[in-house]
Amino acid sequence: MLKTLNQRISIVLILIGTGYLVLTFQLPSYAYVPADADLIPMVLGILLIILAVCLYFSKDSETEEQKARRNIPKQDVVALLTVFGFILVYIIFLEILGFVLITALFVFFCSWFLGYKKHITNLLVSVIFPVFMYVMFTEFLRISLPQGILPF
Amino acid sequence: MKKFLLLTVFALFMVITVACSSDSSGEADGSSDDGSWEPEEPIEIVAPAGAGGGWDTTARMVAKVFNEESIIEESIGVVNKAGGGGAVGWAYVAGHEGSGHNMFVASPPLLFIPLNGQSEYGHEDFTPIANVIADYAAFAVAADAKWDNLNELFDDMKEDPSSITVVGTSSPGSMDHIQFVKIAKAAGVDVTKIKYVSDQDGVGLTQLLNGSVDVFSTGVSETVEQVKAGTIKVLGVTSEERLEGEILEDFPTAKEQGIDETFVNWRGFFGPPNMDEAAVAYYEEKFKELSDSEAFADIRKQFGWDEMYMGSEEYSQFLGDEKEKIQTLLDELGLGQ
Amino acid sequence: MGSLEGILTGFQVAFSLEGVLFVLIGVFVGTFIGMLPGLGPISAIAVMIPITFGMDPAPALVMMAGVYYGAIFGGSTSSILLNAPGVSGAVATAFDGYPMAQQGKAGKALAIAAICSFFGGTVSVLLLMLLAPALSSVAIAFGPPAYFALMLMGLTAISSLSEGSTIKALLSAVAGFMVATIGIDAQTGTQRFTFGNVNLLEGLDFLVIALGLFALAEVCTLIINRKDLSQENTHKIGSMKLSKEDINEMKGPATRQSLLGFIIGVLPGAGATIASFIAYISEKKIAKNPEEFGKGSVRGLAAPEAANNAATSGAFVPLLSLGIPGSGTTAVMLGAFLVLGVQPGPLLMTDRPEIFWGVIASMYIGNVFLLILNLPLIPYFAKILKIPRPLLISLVIMFSIIGVYAISFNTFDLYMLLLFGVVGFLMRIFSFPAPPFILAFILGGMMEQAFRQSLTISNGSLMIFVQDPIALSLLIVSLLSFVFPLVRQLRKRKG
Repeated sequence: MLKTLNQRISIVLILIGTGYLVLTFQLPSYAYVPADADLIPMVLGILLIILAVCLYFSKDSETEEQKARRNIPKQDVVALLTVFGFILVYIIFLEILGFVLITALFVFFCSWFLGYKKHITNLLVSVIFPVFMYVMFTEFLRISLPQGILPF
Repeated sequence: MKKFLLLTVFALFMVITVACSSDSSGEADGSSDDGSWEPEEPIEIVAPAGAGGGWDTTARMVAKVFNEESIIEESIGVVNKAGGGGAVGWAYVAGHEGSGHNMFVASPPLLFIPLNGQSEYGHEDFTPIANVIADYAAFAVAADAKWDNLNELFDDMKEDPSSITVVGTSSPGSMDHIQFVKIAKAAGVDVTKIKYVSDQDGVGLTQLLNGSVDVFSTGVSETVEQVKAGTIKVLGVTSEERLEGEILEDFPTAKEQGIDETFVNWRGFFGPPNMDEAAVAYYEEKFKELSDSEAFADIRKQFGWDEMYMGSEEYSQFLGDEKEKIQTLLDELGLGQ
Repeated sequence: MGSLEGILTGFQVAFSLEGVLFVLIGVFVGTFIGMLPGLGPISAIAVMIPITFGMDPAPALVMMAGVYYGAIFGGSTSSILLNAPGVSGAVATAFDGYPMAQQGKAGKALAIAAICSFFGGTVSVLLLMLLAPALSSVAIAFGPPAYFALMLMGLTAISSLSEGSTIKALLSAVAGFMVATIGIDAQTGTQRFTFGNVNLLEGLDFLVIALGLFALAEVCTLIINRKDLSQENTHKIGSMKLSKEDINEMKGPATRQSLLGFIIGVLPGAGATIASFIAYISEKKIAKNPEEFGKGSVRGLAAPEAANNAATSGAFVPLLSLGIPGSGTTAVMLGAFLVLGVQPGPLLMTDRPEIFWGVIASMYIGNVFLLILNLPLIPYFAKILKIPRPLLISLVIMFSIIGVYAISFNTFDLYMLLLFGVVGFLMRIFSFPAPPFILAFILGGMMEQAFRQSLTISNGSLMIFVQDPIALSLLIVSLLSFVFPLVRQLRKRKG
């Protein structure tokens, strides 16, 4: 039943569409308008499911080049996950440590991880860039970025 | 293995820096022995919306006058915390419980949004400091419309509610809708039959001018220039008495047309929950000074705002009364949560 | 005072030493802020307001206007170089600008963008000057039914944005539309799909999705290819000289889309973003070689760049001649006028001709300055691509993070950015095109509101869409653009 990739994607999309419709049916109604808040979402949910069914039965029309995009070596998958992990840590600590510090740490370690070998340049860039951005935003534009634990 | 080492170093860095952060965050408290209070670190005013809106403008202008007129020496920064019609900013300020250096600017949505069930925080959760300005609602129609006053409009609405559409910027249950409903109800219109469309890109005036809708529910200042140019006419404003100023003084109030109801778009400042009483007293006095200053009078004039100072206690009382009235209206519309 | 006299006064204001100086400051600050992540024209104008306080209104407003169109002008740089649009009007610029830069023609791409921006800006100022008073009636001609039809017309073009399977393009579009329904529904106040989270009440910001789907998804691809030496030519910047062929390619789209962009800009609520999308898809529709679009086509880059700058000047029509701000940006601009004691509206042209015409006249100078400022800087901007890959990847991520954080100053949006980065990457590897998603996200939300406003006004009757002449003609055009390709295909099959 789930031989082709399209069929598998189609099932996932049908599930998403169904979930969306279930939520749509739970929307409270509002008595004073002819077209209520759930009208368009209902159409969209049904449309998504119909299109997903079409996808299920459609032939694979991908070019070789498009298919090749899915051949990701395992080590690259690990690299991707790690960088996303870095980003997650960046976001979590942004308001705690402050913009300058966490950005410097992120840029330095992320570049190092991705194979940048010139550590001195890396260090300089990862300090100068965030400081420049921070001063630009807070002093010149008066838009405050998280200050965090640094005293300025 | 080198990668692993690298990750460990990174993790270690994080742990150390976080550990350092915990010692340095001792809250400064400016209370001195004799009960007076002065700010000791920069003051942060939150505008719970993006840059450029009414809240943002008020906050930035107030901060500017405070500093430029040396009413408050400590520096004041305006921070934008947009989202949820204000709810995100309120939750942020609520997180600074007891602080004397945080406050936010608010207006009637602080009452509407909790009532609509869109924010867990309402005005009761915060410390009202002072109200500074007031604005009023105006109900406008096209210059060639058949109505010349509110009563004619409301009479038609009573007869055939489906033929008249009202437009405003906010969604049903919030300001532009409720200010109209409040007055219409006092005039005896069945408020559940009012046709209201919301146009969030601020195109309400366009819809009025091209005849798509019939009535525009908005703020007084937005109508002045159009009235001057003769494209629209204002059937009524929601202030207690006639407003002052060229054009403005020609707008009839709902009250003088025999509709005994008003609506104030107040704007004031609130501190976090449990703000120190001495700090509240300090700011109350400073806001009074601001409100009386010539510099701020100029700003009021420029933006078409009305002076409306209220101290903490009076403000709190006022808000309670307002909220009750709105609650009744929303219940009648079936919008209350 | 007659118009001509007014125009002359305007030129006097604009060409005075003070006027020229403030235009220069304005456009300089504008381009600079436009290039910074996340800071679009709204924040650029908002941060300038306190600075202008107490200044003479004419030069101050000339400067503010410069900040506005300067920000749109500058916004394309990061779109082209990093696939990370800094302002929403520059998303469509990335469709062909980024592929072009990837092919080692970054210099050329930036030059095309700058020249088309200049062209779009100048043509529309000319139109503004000649037609502003007359156009004010166009600005209010569109009621909700007409807006619905306009958005629908944009959406019907989605199938033309697909690179392969039409079904996949349509699925992307439906998904984008679904994301647009998140938040408080304006017509009823109902919370939709917010899961009780306050951060979702106002829906997701356009930039969160654009940066996730484009910039972060691109980062993923870069990470995978980071050791691939065959991609070396992306380090090349290439000459910024345009060949005769390029100029011939640019001419048509730049002229057409400057006009179209200007008209869309005049309509309140539409603005530069919608103008750039509609320009892109309409240019693709009429192109002889539509398959080149999305792969670094000169036309595909010229169209949105001319249109978004033209729309920016167009937005001044309702603002100056009616006092109606048609977008968030012009609303802030209106605030700037008020601070300086100038009330835009139907009387501005007669009461304060020096301001009305001064601002318009200054735009000529502003556009020239922008071109002079930007062209020589292109080689320096393009050097960004020389940054070693690992460092570049980290900096693009940082850029996206600041960009999104500066919208709401809230980490919630950053998590959403990350989520859409993952979604964008998955869409990429499973060959679902991203442009229909973003197009449906932006047009869909407005279309739904216009549709339901119309129905409320008509008490539920669908006839309102046929009775409105503008709506009816737009609906017929979209129907035709849908039917024609089908007929053509059928004929081909028969033949």
